[in-house]
Amino acid sequence: MAATARIADGPALRPDGAAPTPKVHQPVKARGPWRTGLLLASPAIAVLALLFIAPLFMLVYNSFRTQAGDPTLQNYTRFLGDSFYRDVLWHTLWIGALTTLGCLVVGYPFAVYLRGRSPRARNYLSLVLLSPLLISMVTRAYGWLVLLGPKGPIADGFHAVGLDAPKMLYNDTAVVIGMVHVMLAYMVLPLMGSLDRIDPALTPAAKGLGASGWTCFWRITVPLSLPGMLAGSLIVFSLTVSSFVTPAILGGPTVKLMPYFVYTEATSNLNWPYAAAIGFVLIVVTTILTAVYARLLRGRGGKEVFA
Amino acid sequence: MNTATATTPATDKAAAGAGRKPIAAGVGERARRLLGAAFAALVGLFLLAPVLVTIASSLTTTSYVTFPPKGLTLHWYAELLNRPEFLDSFLLSIGVAAGAAVVSTALGLAAGLAIHRYPFPGKSVLDRVFSSAFAVPTIVLGIGLLQWYAQLGMASSPLTLLLAHLVLTVPYTVRLVLAGLAGLDRSAELAAAGLGAKAPQVFWHVTLPAVRGPLIAGAFFALITSFDDLTIALFVVTTDMQTLPVRIFNYLQYNYDPTVTAVGTVMVLFAAVAVVIIERVVGVAHLFGADPEQ
Repeated sequence: MAATARIADGPALRPDGAAPTPKVHQPVKARGPWRTGLLLASPAIAVLALLFIAPLFMLVYNSFRTQAGDPTLQNYTRFLGDSFYRDVLWHTLWIGALTTLGCLVVGYPFAVYLRGRSPRARNYLSLVLLSPLLISMVTRAYGWLVLLGPKGPIADGFHAVGLDAPKMLYNDTAVVIGMVHVMLAYMVLPLMGSLDRIDPALTPAAKGLGASGWTCFWRITVPLSLPGMLAGSLIVFSLTVSSFVTPAILGGPTVKLMPYFVYTEATSNLNWPYAAAIGFVLIVVTTILTAVYARLLRGRGGKEVFA
Repeated sequence: MNTATATTPATDKAAAGAGRKPIAAGVGERARRLLGAAFAALVGLFLLAPVLVTIASSLTTTSYVTFPPKGLTLHWYAELLNRPEFLDSFLLSIGVAAGAAVVSTALGLAAGLAIHRYPFPGKSVLDRVFSSAFAVPTIVLGIGLLQWYAQLGMASSPLTLLLAHLVLTVPYTVRLVLAGLAGLDRSAELAAAGLGAKAPQVFWHVTLPAVRGPLIAGAFFALITSFDDLTIALFVVTTDMQTLPVRIFNYLQYNYDPTVTAVGTVMVLFAAVAVVIIERVVGVAHLFGADPEQ
């Protein structure tokens, strides 16, 4: 359908006049591609409008209301006026930045390593990479609870060599470890895509002209993989700052991030407007930060990733 | 070339990294390979550790979770049979996840085709919203949906949960389909049409095979995203209707015994079976053939 429509649009592409299917493309053109497009997109549009735009609109609307339903700004003045909540916001963004950095540091070499492997090895390693996403985040987080615990295998390893095990649970370290573990695939997959699109002839060509391995890496591989880095970082950061479960389990009572307060205000305190306000602050700040980050990376030569 | 690599270390390094089959692999090359393999193994261990620990500690004879497990028993799996609520939750979760996978794949294919090849009003807006749907915090979406469903007077049901999950999954399937279509050589479609194939035939024999990988990848992502989701589900479920992640999360607030690691292991096995099936049908490589960034 699509192909014939395109042919109907562009007979100039075939200057030899060989158009053997005039009967097929004629009616398509008559109906117009407009309606077909809208028809095809309409279910997705409905989902977005009713289950994405409307709830977010509801959320923003409610965040400017009191619990009785009167218009107010008190939810925002309460949040922004309280240094406790401002610290929570910084802490959340800090954890998001650390996790993004961790994913880049671990994920970039891993993606480069995957690039050079055989399809078979790539397959197995990709499976391993995706495995954290295949199990429930609850199970995953409790696996870390056991691993990082004071009587876990890592602490045992420290004791075996006569060292005191550092405190690894219920702090930022635990949360970042758990988040990097979950998010790594979101960083590596776009990176692999970017790396795969690099012309394999570029590096040998540069080397033929006398560039060293490192120069090739910094001047060819890294700049050309910026789109993957950008896409991966944006996804990892956005998903991390809105993560509730992993920080809730691994952070314990000491690491309380924005999503925790959204959840408890909504479910325990039943203060929906305040929960909505906290959530909206999180959205706005995340959007601004990711936009700035995207602009910075693009300015450094990365091409448009999100059209 | 061989003599050149032997003479100066600089050209040695250059030839080693060039990705050709090394005829006389230098020591640097071998060391680099070993280093790479060791690094990959470490990352692999990091990725698998929590799963391995979960599986291992489900076999412990102790009444608390410990690793390495003390003794070996299947007691905790037998214990599961006394807890029908876990089975109910599992069935609910898998039903919603399967529904979300099917629906979001269909929606993703249709919307992807629409965005890729048809001009229609609001197309760029739609494309933009799909891109930004990734970035919206799930917890915020959860609270928004809670308030929106309440506004509409919609009571919690597997259907409301499935609908909620579509928001998480459809952007993925659309993006994957778009990536698949971007990689499709239009001349193949034009050739088929030029040779007299009718529009549905072109779609079925040329277009669809090109997006088959992305479609299956999308369905797979949708399945695990929905099955794994706890954040949205926490806002949508009720005490009577709990998905498996919610059930485990609530259970762990008050209990800390190996029953949960047994459930976790069963879920891991279930996921493994799904992966093997996908591997047989299309090959897991197809999941990564399309890249979710585009």
